[in-house]
Amino acid sequence: MKQIALYGKGGIGKSTTSANLSAALSLQGLDILQIGCDPKRDSTRMLMHGNFIPTVLDLLRERGEAALSINDVVHTGFNGIRCVEAGGPEPGVGCAGRGIIATFQILEKFGALSGDVIVYDVLGDVVCGGFAMPMREGYAQEIYLVTSGELMSLYAANNICKAIRRLSMRAKSRCHLAGVICNAKNEPREEDLVAEFARRVNSALVQFIPRDHIVQIAELNRKTVIEYDPGCPQAERYRELAARVMENTRFTVPTPLEIHDLESLAIEFM
Amino acid sequence: MTLNPSPSNSCRFGGCTLTGALSVTSHVRDAVSVVHGPKGCTHHNFSLLHATALDNDVVHIPEMFSTGLAETEIIFGGEEALDRTLRSVSRLDPAAVFVLSTCAVETIGDDVRMVCSVPRGIPVIPVPTAGFLGGPFQEGVNNALIALAGMAGPAVANGGVNIIGEKNLEYEVNENFAEVVRLLDALGLPVNIRFVHDLNMDQLPRLGAAQLNILRDPALVPVGTYLCQRFGTPYIPSFPLGLSGSITFMESVAGACALDCRDATEKERALQEEMFCDFADLAGYTICVNPAVTDPDGLRKVLEVADALKLDITPSGCPVPLPPDPPVGIMGMRRMLHRWRRALHA
Repeated sequence: MKQIALYGKGGIGKSTTSANLSAALSLQGLDILQIGCDPKRDSTRMLMHGNFIPTVLDLLRERGEAALSINDVVHTGFNGIRCVEAGGPEPGVGCAGRGIIATFQILEKFGALSGDVIVYDVLGDVVCGGFAMPMREGYAQEIYLVTSGELMSLYAANNICKAIRRLSMRAKSRCHLAGVICNAKNEPREEDLVAEFARRVNSALVQFIPRDHIVQIAELNRKTVIEYDPGCPQAERYRELAARVMENTRFTVPTPLEIHDLESLAIEFM
Repeated sequence: MTLNPSPSNSCRFGGCTLTGALSVTSHVRDAVSVVHGPKGCTHHNFSLLHATALDNDVVHIPEMFSTGLAETEIIFGGEEALDRTLRSVSRLDPAAVFVLSTCAVETIGDDVRMVCSVPRGIPVIPVPTAGFLGGPFQEGVNNALIALAGMAGPAVANGGVNIIGEKNLEYEVNENFAEVVRLLDALGLPVNIRFVHDLNMDQLPRLGAAQLNILRDPALVPVGTYLCQRFGTPYIPSFPLGLSGSITFMESVAGACALDCRDATEKERALQEEMFCDFADLAGYTICVNPAVTDPDGLRKVLEVADALKLDITPSGCPVPLPPDPPVGIMGMRRMLHRWRRALHA
């Protein structure tokens, strides 16, 4: 079983990338589980045709752990992909990080973490130990960074490298950096910049996904690009990504950059 | 006089901020304390307060409630649990409710003050007490006293004196209070209220009526300053400690209240002489004290007594026990000297 996690700055397109990646993998005949680890709970929405599925934490709060079963938390979407949303507290209260930890405990208890590939789609940044949970305890072993060529996005990706490096030093840890996915803003020389960033943090660019209006159109139709227009060039990009993820064998301990190195890198490609 | 031993390594004041605050709030006898956190925070403190009271021969069950937070409340926030607990506690109709926060709720950022501000027909007094923020026991004491003082309004002066921040967990709390009362009585000053020891909420409006506040020790200066700003009441920063400390205390009190204390201090010196006569058999013994167990200022008060009794202090002398706090008044010194005599004649 392959377990991968996508991390990156908020709004960079992790959920879109995750959902299209899951859709493409499922079309290879693989059994896929996608877990949204974000209180916004919209990771799996396009796989569920626009429906928000009940989250593990909402169910936990409303019914209590004893009354829950695996069928309450795992919902089947496009092409048999099993979807889970961790959920979380209302914005501004409680502790979402602890919620992620509780979700993993429940999924473990139900034996829900199974299939050929598990895709973890994780909120913005590794803000605390809770949001590092997918990388801890041997869950996600292959971490993909989703970033554009914008400095703030690279900065977030670089911070996630710090978390991966820290966690990969633990004795029991099996988490490594598996690569960088450039979800482009279509800035000049963006692919070169992100490829160079990936190289400097001891990794590689695994896929360049250009900005394409088809993504918005598909989402307005409550579908992934793979489902909405499988023949379009963007869908082919996601299928390439899926193929590269399955073939990938280069898993590294990242070497995060100092902030001034990151800035001068961005200036080089301006 | 209490016959309890007074172990010098007593750690009653080394605990959490929460414990410090509860040592105050549990002494507001008609109020209840709600500890907003996991139930263990309440259980451990209940046990400690109950056991300490029993050790001091006081049978008193502290009125404490827990919001009983579990993982669900940590994830989704504990404000609803606090509201629920406050609603159920209100039905008991206490004179006031103290709400004390814990590490868990401060970590997740519950807005305790907001929940406490909902009108419930009784005073609900939030006290910030998360121990992990680094505040010691004393900070909990000070926070609780200041929060409670904030509930008292202006009062007509009555000429009395308040006793502020007694160490409710110390063995000799009542003996020490009695010494202060004796010295105030010698100056013709009545005690107004003990803030807070065995207090009822209906006494609280008198807090601002005193002409002087006497702090148990200088760690309470933030409380003294607050009361001075709120009510204009001056304060004396410490109880009467040791020989010259007792005389200085009387002079400071008299000075603050514009009284002549010459007769009273003469009588006190005579009582101190009487004490020296009673312990004259200790003269000439060599003793040693472990300075690590008391603060340098407290140690000076103790050495002053040893000097007056013509005891020699050398490292090879007979070890004698030091009280965890410097002796308060003549009774405090006599208790200490009794223990020394026991050690020297053992």
